[in-house]
Amino acid sequence: MKAIILAAGEGLRCRPLTLTRSKVMLPVANRPILEHVISSLEKNGIKEIILVVGYEKERIMNHFEDGLNFGVSISYVEQKAQLGTAHAIEQAKKLISPKDPEFIVLNGDNLVEPKTIADLLNNYEGDASLLTVRMEDTAGYGVVLKEKKRVTQILEKRPGGLSRLVNTGIYIFTPQVFETIEKTPISENGEYAITDTLQLMIDEGKVVTSITTESKWLDAVHAWDLLKANAIVLNSSKNLKNEGELEEGVIISGKVAIGKNTRIRSGTYIVGPVVIGENCDIGPNVVILPSTTIGDNVSIRSFTEIQNSIIMNDCRISSHGQISNSIIGSNNTLGPGFTAEEKENLEININSRIHKAPKLGTILGDDNRIGGRVLVKAGVMISVNCQVESGNTIYRDLSRDSVVL
Amino acid sequence: MCGIVGYAGRNAAAPVIIESLKKLEYRGYDSAGITVLGNGIETYKAVGKIVNLESEIPKNLGGTIGIGHTRWATHGRPSTENAHPHNSGGNPGKISLVHNGIIENYMALKERLIGEGYEFKSETDTEVVAHLLHKHIYGSPDGKKARCELLTGLREALKEIEGSYALAIVSADEQGKLVLARKDSPLVIGLGKGENFAASDVTAFLNYTRDVIFVDDFETAVLTPDSIQIFDREGNLKEKKIEKIEWDFEAAEKAGYEHFMLKEIHEQVSAIHNTLAGKVSELEGAIYLKELNLSEDEIKKLSSVQILACGTSWHAGLLGKYLFEQLAGIHCDIDICSEYRYRNPVMHEGTLAIAITQSGETADTLAAVREIMSYNCPTLAITNVVGSTITREANSVLYTRAGPEIGVAATKTFSTQLVLLYLLAVKFALVRGKLSPDYVKSFITELRKVPGEIQQILNQKEIIKECAEDFAHAKSYFFLGRHLSYPIALEGALKLKEISYVHAEGFAAGELKHGPIALIDEGTPVVAIATRGQTYDKMLSNIKEVKARDAVVIAVASIKDTEIAKYADVVLRVPQSDELLAPLLSVVVLQLLAYYTALARSCSIDKPRNLAKSVTVE
Repeated sequence: MKAIILAAGEGLRCRPLTLTRSKVMLPVANRPILEHVISSLEKNGIKEIILVVGYEKERIMNHFEDGLNFGVSISYVEQKAQLGTAHAIEQAKKLISPKDPEFIVLNGDNLVEPKTIADLLNNYEGDASLLTVRMEDTAGYGVVLKEKKRVTQILEKRPGGLSRLVNTGIYIFTPQVFETIEKTPISENGEYAITDTLQLMIDEGKVVTSITTESKWLDAVHAWDLLKANAIVLNSSKNLKNEGELEEGVIISGKVAIGKNTRIRSGTYIVGPVVIGENCDIGPNVVILPSTTIGDNVSIRSFTEIQNSIIMNDCRISSHGQISNSIIGSNNTLGPGFTAEEKENLEININSRIHKAPKLGTILGDDNRIGGRVLVKAGVMISVNCQVESGNTIYRDLSRDSVVL
Repeated sequence: MCGIVGYAGRNAAAPVIIESLKKLEYRGYDSAGITVLGNGIETYKAVGKIVNLESEIPKNLGGTIGIGHTRWATHGRPSTENAHPHNSGGNPGKISLVHNGIIENYMALKERLIGEGYEFKSETDTEVVAHLLHKHIYGSPDGKKARCELLTGLREALKEIEGSYALAIVSADEQGKLVLARKDSPLVIGLGKGENFAASDVTAFLNYTRDVIFVDDFETAVLTPDSIQIFDREGNLKEKKIEKIEWDFEAAEKAGYEHFMLKEIHEQVSAIHNTLAGKVSELEGAIYLKELNLSEDEIKKLSSVQILACGTSWHAGLLGKYLFEQLAGIHCDIDICSEYRYRNPVMHEGTLAIAITQSGETADTLAAVREIMSYNCPTLAITNVVGSTITREANSVLYTRAGPEIGVAATKTFSTQLVLLYLLAVKFALVRGKLSPDYVKSFITELRKVPGEIQQILNQKEIIKECAEDFAHAKSYFFLGRHLSYPIALEGALKLKEISYVHAEGFAAGELKHGPIALIDEGTPVVAIATRGQTYDKMLSNIKEVKARDAVVIAVASIKDTEIAKYADVVLRVPQSDELLAPLLSVVVLQLLAYYTALARSCSIDKPRNLAKSVTVE
């Protein structure tokens, strides 16, 4: 079976992290979300993968190349304009022959485990099948109405209450779906949505079924949801290896993975689950607490404490830092005494809409240079390529290329 | 990256396997080998490209079943002994196999097998599998009679193996079949008519068939010309789906990129990570170059450095000269190899020769190295290809570890060559007491920032693309640089010449009024590299000079530079970095400029006319 993975979108709601990479490339346990998806497909024996790419496609192609290192064969098609999911799937039409059997379609930015995919593969039937999960709060998600196994209606992001079955965006189609895709009308938001294609199939009397899974399906709607996903994945990861170099006097407890050429210096205390990448230089006397992921080529100096956070590649964190429940993008330089304040139940304003974050410190995009003794108030985000001089307190979001004197 | 292939058919196996190996060659190669089942097991191996292997194989080699392997070592010297296939059961042996992956418990297995009388010819982990398999089938090293079938023996042997593998195996006692196994390493079977194929990657046999079966972990398979049987872990026959591959393999290699060159420009971020890996320690301000084979005393005693290189590598070397003299206070000469060879140079005692060649096979560089060795100078090679000729001739080798480079115009190998030269010069400076440990510490911090800063430039490639398109139809282009940016000006001009066929010249900006300024007229694009540094003000004057002649100035300048926009028509920005390291950033801008110019002019970017990737003739 072939798989089409939709990986062309930016993931607007995950800004500022997605200003420089697409959402599928956000790291969870030091692997892009898309890699978790591909690995789950591979474990189900699905090895012919078509990636529909667009926004920041080079990062994706550099990471996955032709798929060989991931045990799959990847071909790429480009969706030049972001015209919706049906349009994205249509781009892959040339790689699917009308004589092919069914194929699977997934979003590259939702974390799935192998069992999630197996649940659909083992139970699908009809002209098209979709996978749903049961959720208490369905706000912001598309839901499905069904009679027995047959889907009667697919509703896009409506207020909750109508159904608890959330559409995961994982589908099985036959190549005949392309005929319906061609007929799919453009929606009010100017997109060709695959849910509209499915609704069209239902209206034409075709059999669309849904299967509900109890297995893992995580959607990082906002950037801060990444912390939760990271904690869940770290907690369940197995076979963690220490390939780094530990100096005498390093204390490690719990599950900790350390990459090649990484040096952990004396007096450093690490409590797993923690994943640290390659070529890092950490310590002496650094404290790293559970559910933390640190990328490649990162250095962290003395007396810094990090908890439940994601630090991406190429960051330099000076001494006496305090970072918890935070995400630090790539290539950031944080001066000594950097503090990310944290609070619970924050209300975060994005484009004049309020979103709730359970517990959050700060989120930094890529390429920022932060001076010494800078405090970032809880829930405040710094975009990309900003410069903050020493001694400042950041009370409100900083937009791209800001300078705080 | 390694690749394995297998063939079971009715045609001669050797040519098919060679062709398949060539298809995998883009993954890199340092040695290769092949076994065919003809009159028993016949194995041939060679170091270097697949063509070297081809010339080892007799023309009319019979045998219609066979296996092959190509290897790209990331560490360890490639040799015919270490090349696959590995055989067991005497010479030529009973069993021959190729392997991609890592056997993690091979030391323990090896000790046990040696205890049981097995003799090891190589240092590889793979040979353990061959002997272990032999033991399960024949009982002992001199066992002649098979006690079980190859497949049964394999299943037993795999139970003892920890690690990852894709294996292709032939046995002298089981003619007409090829046996496969996989765990955690890629393996795919191709279905032909009266012939079947196996490989690490579908591209190996796409010319023969597009119907494939992907082998899964813990599965084993038996291929004959007319049948394919796949078994699960317990040995039960398994139904597998046949899939059809519809993309063409050129595109698969380029992993979605339009050209190798663009792919390789983007790969500079990870390539520099790899070059630096394990070589620096930020906290100690230490640089580890143990491959150098020079003691601190020897470094202190060096009287001069002689750099030898051609083309792009020569530009890297020129920057090296500036660094060795400015930072380490060592006299440094640089020569073009084809000149050095014929000019009767005068060499002093205590000179270290550094030869820079991407491929390690550049004929002129090899000849120049042989020449300089006759003066008893220690030689250091900087190359990208493990096991290439130069690595066998030079006294020591530093690898750029950039991964295979396919585009003819060198990009990632240039920037990684520069990184090694920075490390060498700073290391020498530290040992010779020219730089303080504290300075070196902050230098290493800055150097570790470079990959992230290159990514920042790549994020803004659209701006460079627009600029390239605006000037794509200029008749000629000039590149100006001073001091550390001078070699980058030369390299920028070379890139443009190579792939877009636009006449381009790089100049030391101070040389402008000694002649070249006569060439400048209205609308000529002049690229001025004006990153911050000791010659920044002089560069501004040069920009004014050419502006006064109505040239169009495209400046490469730091993000923070607010002044430059007053003088230049277009400003292409690089992140604010350490002055010393700015060349590593400006070159990426110029590579992209050349690439997008060639694209706008519809040139053949990866294979420009008249050029070859490595010049192995004089």
